[in-house]
Amino acid sequence: MKPVVALTKGRLEKQFLQYFESLGYDIKPLQDKGRKLRVQTDQFAFIFAKGPDVSTYVQYGIADLGIVGGDILAEFQPDVYDLFPLPFGKCRMAVATEQGKVWPAQKKTIASKYTGITKEFFKNKGESVDIIKLEGSVELAPILGLADGIVDIVETGTTLKENGLVIDEEFMRFSARLIANRSSLKLKRQELAQIIEDLKQRGGQGE
Amino acid sequence: MLFLPAGSQDQIGQKLNNKAKITRVFRDVVCRRDYKAIETPVIEYAQTFTNPHVGMDLSTLLKWFDYEGQIEVLRPDWTTAIARALINQPPTQKKWFYQGSIFRNDKNGIESRQAGIEIIRSSQCLGEMESLLTAVDYLKALQIDDYLIELGHTGIFEYLIQPLELNRVEEEALRTAMHDKQTDVVERIVKEKGNGQVAKELVNLIQAYGDKEVLQKYRSDWQNQTVLVEIIDLLDYLYTSLETMGANVIVDLGRVKQLPYYSGAMFRGYLKATGQICFSGGRYDKLYAQFDTDISAVGLAFDIDVLANVISPDPAKKRICLIASPETHVQAEQMRQQLEDIQVDIQYQIPAQHNYDQIIDLTKEVNES
Repeated sequence: MKPVVALTKGRLEKQFLQYFESLGYDIKPLQDKGRKLRVQTDQFAFIFAKGPDVSTYVQYGIADLGIVGGDILAEFQPDVYDLFPLPFGKCRMAVATEQGKVWPAQKKTIASKYTGITKEFFKNKGESVDIIKLEGSVELAPILGLADGIVDIVETGTTLKENGLVIDEEFMRFSARLIANRSSLKLKRQELAQIIEDLKQRGGQGE
Repeated sequence: MLFLPAGSQDQIGQKLNNKAKITRVFRDVVCRRDYKAIETPVIEYAQTFTNPHVGMDLSTLLKWFDYEGQIEVLRPDWTTAIARALINQPPTQKKWFYQGSIFRNDKNGIESRQAGIEIIRSSQCLGEMESLLTAVDYLKALQIDDYLIELGHTGIFEYLIQPLELNRVEEEALRTAMHDKQTDVVERIVKEKGNGQVAKELVNLIQAYGDKEVLQKYRSDWQNQTVLVEIIDLLDYLYTSLETMGANVIVDLGRVKQLPYYSGAMFRGYLKATGQICFSGGRYDKLYAQFDTDISAVGLAFDIDVLANVISPDPAKKRICLIASPETHVQAEQMRQQLEDIQVDIQYQIPAQHNYDQIIDLTKEVNES
């Protein structure tokens, strides 16, 4: 059976395909997949899923390897081998709020998709906060008065700027990473050795 | 309508029969190998499992307060509970076995069923061999042959990090990165301690898994480091012995312990078809230190739920239904006791739907006589 690789759909998928092609792999079947969520190539079976689901498929052994953002791994902490960073998908985690906003003297309210990371960050600072879980467009929360600030990933900072927010503090840096199922890495070590070695060529340079 | 909590499930049908077979065969195998049964209570004090010698995370345990305000838990681990119980037992019996559930909320399913062995006061090598050969013996008795045994050792990582003089937090962070095989994080943590040589060794160690060639390579690389060569010799001996007994084996020299009391060889068995871990264990001589005693210990536990999914069920027995009446019920029961190795049901009339292999109508026989 071909090794199964789970890819994070969207931006990371495009960046991975570019990188994969640069390593000499044929990506045509992956580019021409239309809306299919499973694609076979000569060497691998690929599945396409959202980031948190990629880590779940790898954890449960449905996929042997996965390409997923470091932010997802930090937030959900799946039980997988988190092998090494890949040279794309770079971003950073930041606390942001409205331009000119004065933080309340009492407990802050923070909106975020990343409630686990947010909780850990403020715990390490020794600060109690209330956290509101949002699924997206978190920049709205301080503007509309739902929260005092947000914790979110930042790439270029353009979205924050266009919504009148400024970074208060940056605290983590991420890139895409290669993850592996704990059993697959041992049981399919011969089948996986080459792709892991290839992906490592320029890996290890992420943050 | 009454519902089950997430993770709980009813047991029924073939899988339940498989579990009964698994526990029956386990008992047969370990009794033949001179183990003695032990059972500890399902409810224990949390402190038994969360003290620094054991180091389990309280948040993962199913717990409540007793009337004195003490935290009680559902048994999350057999090994620790048995250590508590065995400390008061005479030292003559060294080999023990157990079967039953453990409960943790960080595992899928909350309740998982285990069958395992504990060997105390047993020297290095003898204890490891007995544990691993019991596993081989048991899997053979279950007719499971498509598995792989992985060997590791706590001493390799602990020896290599000695020059770094890490504090507890740093060591834990490095151990976690090794456990996750995070090459870049391991390298960063060690380089921050200013030791590029150890960083290189640990990064290489992450990838030191595979067959016997790995042992040969590292025996050569570490030829001037007696402690490490002794570990390689032990793993090589176990590897060769298991191979001789027909098992497939790999080593992972970069494996680290996940509980503080592990102190030597570590092992686990993978089912090749599913990748699931069917047993795990190792040596934990430090476990008994919490009782101010110096007792060595080694053991392993099988995951009954995992095994139940892969074993072949026993061949179905012939099913006979005896049709009786209140007057002939005793006669039917006497007949049932004479029908050995057959499943015998007694009914007063032939069920509208049935799948018996044979129906014997005793009422007719009585009427006819």
